[in-house]
Amino acid sequence: MVFIAIVIGCVIGVIAGLNAPIIPYSLSGYLAISIIAALDSVFGGISSVLKGEFDLKIFVSGFFGNAILSILLTYLGERLNVDIYLAAIVVFVGRMFVNLAIIRRYYIDKWTEKIRKMREKKEIENKNNSKTIKE
Amino acid sequence: MCWFYTNINKKMKKGKGTMTITIGLVCFVLTYIIFMQFKTVEETNITLIETMREAELTESLASWKERYNATEEKLLQNNETLIEYRQKRASNQEATELLNKELLQAQTIAGLTDVTGDGVVITFYDKSEENKVKDRELLELINELKYAGAEAISINDQRIVNMTNIMNIWIGGEDDNESYKEDFYILIDNSKRITSPYVIKAIGDPKTLESTLTAKISGFISRYSNATLKVQNNIVIPKYNGEENFKLRYAQEVTKGEEK
Repeated sequence: MVFIAIVIGCVIGVIAGLNAPIIPYSLSGYLAISIIAALDSVFGGISSVLKGEFDLKIFVSGFFGNAILSILLTYLGERLNVDIYLAAIVVFVGRMFVNLAIIRRYYIDKWTEKIRKMREKKEIENKNNSKTIKE
Repeated sequence: MCWFYTNINKKMKKGKGTMTITIGLVCFVLTYIIFMQFKTVEETNITLIETMREAELTESLASWKERYNATEEKLLQNNETLIEYRQKRASNQEATELLNKELLQAQTIAGLTDVTGDGVVITFYDKSEENKVKDRELLELINELKYAGAEAISINDQRIVNMTNIMNIWIGGEDDNESYKEDFYILIDNSKRITSPYVIKAIGDPKTLESTLTAKISGFISRYSNATLKVQNNIVIPKYNGEENFKLRYAQEVTKGEEK
C-alpha cells in the first residue's frame, strides 16, 4: 500500500515537474538547497525505518522543516554576505552519506547472513548425502 | 524491499491511510521539485550560467555595464565639445590674425608705431628774434605736406597725428612788468614745447613732396626763405607718445541701428 503510494507520488511528481514553469535562475539556488535538505530527510527516514525507529511526524516535519529552514538560512547568508548554504550542503550531504552507510551495512549484513545460512544448509545436506553413500 | 515494506506496515497499523497519503505526498513534492530544478538548470543558457554563477558577479557586471555606458556617453559628449572647441579655436585664430593685421594697420595710420621710409626733411628756423616762426606757418607746412601725400610727419621728433594741435605761446611783450620775461615758443599737443630750428620730417613719395613744396610761387620752400628741404632715404619717425589725448570722451561711435 505504502509502496504503491510512493510509486504513484513519484510518477505524478515527475509528470508535474516536467510541466512546471521555469523558475528564475536566481531562485533556483534556494530550491537546490531545499532539495538537498529533503533528500537528507528521506534517507534519514529510510535508515530509521531499518532501525525500527520510524516516526511519521518526525519524518514529515523534518522533510518540510529542513527544506524551509535551509532556504531561510541561505537567504540570511546572502543578506550577511556569508555562504551559509555551503555549511547546509556539507551537513546535509554528510548526513546523507552516514545514512546511506547505515542502509548499506544493514543489507550487507543481511546478505552475508543469508549466504552463511545457505552454506550451512548445503554442508548439512552434503553430510547427509555422504552418510547415505557410506551406508 | 519486501522487508522494508512490512517493517513500515508493522509500525503504522493505526493510521495506515494517513501514512500512505503523507508518504505519497512527500514523494510527489520531492520529485516535483527535483524535476522542476532539472528543467530550470537544463533550460538556462550555459553562458548565462557562467555569468550568473554568483549574484554578486551579476550585480557587479550590471553596474559595470551601466558605468561603461555612462562613460561612453560622456566620452562621446566630450569628443563633440572637443571638436567644437577646435573649430572655435581655428576660427578664433583666423579672426585674431585678421584683427591683428587690422590693428597694426590702424595703429600705423594713427601714428602709434615707429615708421621708417623715404621722404623729405625740412629745416625751418627763425629769421631773427623779432621775426620768429609762427604756428600758422608750421600748420601751413604740415597741410602742404599732407596735400603732397605725406604718410607720417614729425616736428622735432614729435609725431603729428590727426588730433595734434599747434599753438603759439607768447609771454610778456606788451606787459610793463619787468619780472615778465618775454618768451615765445610753440606748443604741440598742449604740453610739448618746441623751438627753432624746426626739423620737419615727412615720409611719402620724395619726388611728389619735393616738387609740391618747391613749386614756384605756391611752394612752401619758395615762399619762405628760412626753410630748406632735403630728400633723404630711410627716415625714422617715432610713434606718438601722448596717448592720453587719444581717449575720446565725447565722440561716440554711431551704431548701425541708430543710423537713419
